[in-house]
Amino acid sequence: MSKRKKRPVRRPPSGSTPGDTTRTGTKQTGTKGAGTKGAGTKTAGAKPTSKRRPPPRGARRGLLPRWAPWVGIAVVVGAIGIALLLRNTSSASATKPASGQVTSAISSVPAATFDAVGVPSGLAAPKPLPSGTPAVEADGLPLVLYVGAEYCPYCAAERWPLAVALSRFGSFSDLSVTESAGFPEVYPHTPTLSFHGASYTSPHLAFQGLETATNKLGITGYGQLDTLTPEQQRLVQTYDAPPYVTTKGGIPFVLIGNRYVFNGAQYLPDVLRGKSAEQIAAELSDPQSGVSAAVVGSANLLTAAICQITGQAPKDVCTSSAVTAAAKDLGS
Amino acid sequence: MRGRTASIIVLAVSAAGLAVSIYLTIAHYTSPRLLACGENGVVNCEKVTTSQQATFVGVPVALLGIGFFAAVFVLSLPAIVDRPGMRAARLILACVGMAFVLWLIYAEIALIGAICLWCTFVHLCTFAIFVAVLVEASRPAVPASQR
Repeated sequence: MSKRKKRPVRRPPSGSTPGDTTRTGTKQTGTKGAGTKGAGTKTAGAKPTSKRRPPPRGARRGLLPRWAPWVGIAVVVGAIGIALLLRNTSSASATKPASGQVTSAISSVPAATFDAVGVPSGLAAPKPLPSGTPAVEADGLPLVLYVGAEYCPYCAAERWPLAVALSRFGSFSDLSVTESAGFPEVYPHTPTLSFHGASYTSPHLAFQGLETATNKLGITGYGQLDTLTPEQQRLVQTYDAPPYVTTKGGIPFVLIGNRYVFNGAQYLPDVLRGKSAEQIAAELSDPQSGVSAAVVGSANLLTAAICQITGQAPKDVCTSSAVTAAAKDLGS
Repeated sequence: MRGRTASIIVLAVSAAGLAVSIYLTIAHYTSPRLLACGENGVVNCEKVTTSQQATFVGVPVALLGIGFFAAVFVLSLPAIVDRPGMRAARLILACVGMAFVLWLIYAEIALIGAICLWCTFVHLCTFAIFVAVLVEASRPAVPASQR
């Protein structure tokens, strides 16, 4: 088309259509270029004196076909759809009573394992409260308060060392096993215990463990579970906020009497990934396992903090080499 | 959508993507690791930005995002947008960026199991650039003098 003879712009060549000129872009070129400067306008019907220079390739048509954007959008949407199909869509498993193996393993970690594990590096330690903090007690005993939620993966990680540490001062009954919520929560399906419905007895301290929400996601969010008493709410509002912790309202929240506080897990939940509660329980006694390093190591730090509110009782626990070493990692 | 409209969209979106990528890069290097849940189980970026997939051959993907959006931004500046080869360069860059974002989305959904809202904003910026550049590349080039 570019080699055809120039013609006046008001008399398009026979055989060509407006669609042709539009599609190839010669309409604009002919009008503003040769059409206005060439012989077509000034001397209608005159024979052109020179050939029109062919427009660059990109001017005749695009680099891609006109349908390319639609294909691109379809490819992106299809790829995301495939990724969604490949994700783990299973919902969190139901909470069920902990087996005898699990409860027994939690309460019978050998003293030699506590000492062998010690306090591995990288574990978060409870933060000391200022001296003069009012007493935090229940039933005349120093109180350890835990507030978490079953959906929360960091709560899932923290329950293991908390249960192991508290089992050195007393005993649990009616513990449950469950897992944190699935996608899109982080660390989905982290296996764990649940303090909802559990009871704890100890001659040294009182423990209140509350799970404020389930791991089942409904239309309005996770289902409500335990409700805090006004006193528990006051403790959370006071101490689960700066300057005592970094982030206001984070869970898990653990208050150890009037001496220590922290929110968040002491270790990454990744170490529990893909294991059942029974497997985790079985690995607690093995000081070489990653589970033991994270859970028992964190429990040593918690034990050292709890010993501060029980007056170093029981003596065999609070004077063990691991707890003595852990106490040095706690500020005072 | 005419060529000028597409290039203006690409310019604006790449500037927004560049800003968020800078924020994510700063966060990558400075954010303390917080192992706590929010009160309502809100999805957060912590796991995504600290995951194995947050780096590519040792380089934080947020830093790669800065490079990508900066390159797209420069290639769409009015002074050089019409230079020979710029359309093809933008097209190649947009396709590579979109392919990488698809990998990151797959990693978030299928491998990491978490969603980062800031990252999602960057992904949307890349998608917008991808579509605008495809539209631009499927239309005849219009010389700047005729726009």
